[in-house]
Amino acid sequence: MIDFDLPFLLAIAKFALVFIPLCLIPICIFMERKGASLMQDRYGPNRANIPLLGGIRLFGFVQNLPDGIKLFTKENFIPRGAHTFWYLLAPMIPLAVALLTPSVIPWFGPMVVEGSRGLATVSGQILDADSGVLVLFALSGLSIYGVVLGAWASNSKYALLGGMRASAQMISYEVSMGLSAAGIFLIVGSFSLTQIVEWQAAHTWGIVVQPVGFVLFLTSLFAETGRAPFDMAEGESEIVAGYFVEYSAIRFGLFYMGEYAHIAIAGALLSTLFLGGYQIPFMDTEAVRANLGFVSGAIVAAVGLSCLGIAYMVRRWARIYSRMQTTDAVDRKREYNILNGAFSVIGLGLLAVAAALMVLVHPAKGGLGAADIWPLWVNLGTAAVQVGTLVVKILAICWIFVWVRWTLPRFRYDQVMALGWKIMLNIALVNLLVTAVVAKLVKG
Amino acid sequence: MARTVPRPEMTLAEKAYVPEIVKGLKVTMGHFLRGLFTPETLPVQSYPETPSVIPRNYRAKHRLMKRPDGEPRCVACMMCSTACPANCITIQAGESADDRIEKKPVKFEIDLLVCVFCGLCAEACPVDAIRMDTRIVALAADSREKFKVGLKDLMSWEPKDYPDNDTQSQKAPGGLLNAEAKKQWGIS
Repeated sequence: MIDFDLPFLLAIAKFALVFIPLCLIPICIFMERKGASLMQDRYGPNRANIPLLGGIRLFGFVQNLPDGIKLFTKENFIPRGAHTFWYLLAPMIPLAVALLTPSVIPWFGPMVVEGSRGLATVSGQILDADSGVLVLFALSGLSIYGVVLGAWASNSKYALLGGMRASAQMISYEVSMGLSAAGIFLIVGSFSLTQIVEWQAAHTWGIVVQPVGFVLFLTSLFAETGRAPFDMAEGESEIVAGYFVEYSAIRFGLFYMGEYAHIAIAGALLSTLFLGGYQIPFMDTEAVRANLGFVSGAIVAAVGLSCLGIAYMVRRWARIYSRMQTTDAVDRKREYNILNGAFSVIGLGLLAVAAALMVLVHPAKGGLGAADIWPLWVNLGTAAVQVGTLVVKILAICWIFVWVRWTLPRFRYDQVMALGWKIMLNIALVNLLVTAVVAKLVKG
Repeated sequence: MARTVPRPEMTLAEKAYVPEIVKGLKVTMGHFLRGLFTPETLPVQSYPETPSVIPRNYRAKHRLMKRPDGEPRCVACMMCSTACPANCITIQAGESADDRIEKKPVKFEIDLLVCVFCGLCAEACPVDAIRMDTRIVALAADSREKFKVGLKDLMSWEPKDYPDNDTQSQKAPGGLLNAEAKKQWGIS
């Protein structure tokens, strides 16, 4: 007989966090497309709109919708000579891995709640294992199997070449990735990701104690996710499209979404190891719990202010647009009016909510409810604040991925291997050695 | 004797990747912010919404000039179809109703899919009857037959779409000089 007490229910509810990287995929794709276009001095996606909602385009965000519809409704083509079973299985692997990996990432600090059998600690990880980071490395290394399997099963030399390149690159960079992260494990003295984050909250961020490790880890992550400048698995001029050349429709879409989910996971891993994870800068979990009303109010106010900022940008664009002689001036004016109104109302509303949170959420005021549910309220509020913090950090790192992709030219294949084995591995080893000596001297 | 071009030596900072990468990141971020805050400076044209400005002397779709009474100015001399290197002009001559003029085209057809827009027809015309100054460059239709434009299509232009100092165009019906030209021609 299972008793549905609070810790058990919370442990079940935590599974919802698995879907966070999935929700970040459209945001990542939007950032990628808009960032790429603006860096290349063009407008980017701005045609797709929703006619029923006054033709809003949301700065190109709506483009995801027709893209998805297109991917879902196109023909699923299986080339002759392909190994049908493996061919169909391969695209599922990267996305399945992307759904599994968030289970070991700590999304919020451990909370102590009262259950039917006394106090129980609910961890921020869905799978609270001491070997958390090893599981994470293992899982994220698994996604290459989808790439290689798909490449091999599609019975195409180009795809096979792409898959082989991807696997060789993966093996090379897994080494320096593990070694560059090993420094932080030495300093913290634990493989548990929650403990790593708690150590960073108590002392200082990992990027401060391991700057070289951070740069190496970030570079390895670029290679691990197969992003430019290490996008060896793809290469229009050399091997047509790479490992997914024979895939069409949603099976290609699964590879595509898996790539962005992988970026989101990489961002979560990087921020957990080096950027304080779910912690707000200069505030540990206790500080957030003590000032929950103020902290949550400040965060909601920041979101509200950014909505007002977006509304300001919309007005600015509307002014610029009205000066241009265009045939769709009426539509654009209507759209900008809708967006301006919506974002202004949302921004002002969020500011009001922020003020309410700051005033109302306080133990002395009784909070929004009776005193007996106040501890639960604090726990959930703190968890929400910390999940939000981690998501913001992940998005910032995703932006860095986009930024670097559209800045750097890609390496040649031999240069990738030379950089991985001859330079990064050596730096990582020296970094690890120095860290070990210093850690031994300091910690005794 | 081949000349050897020495490769530039890379400095230490350039060999270390990272400072150069930071420089590159700065450049792209500059472009990003420029596009975000001053989109009007982007060298981009939203094509159908902001129409292209095509110069008058650009060789675009043809038009046939009109007399003050609206009849085609063309005298069906076949010079243009003779000059046409693509053989895309088909003319059938007929008798003109006007005593002063011998022939007029009964059928004047240009196959725009065959036309190479070389402009030789306009050069060859002895009476300035065919011109290529419509600035219509986006030609679209849903069948090949519709690209064969005839007299009606070629003469369906309005004088107000052409400059005031284009006297030949303004003499056509609806033009600024139409009344004057009619008097000159003796047509009521």
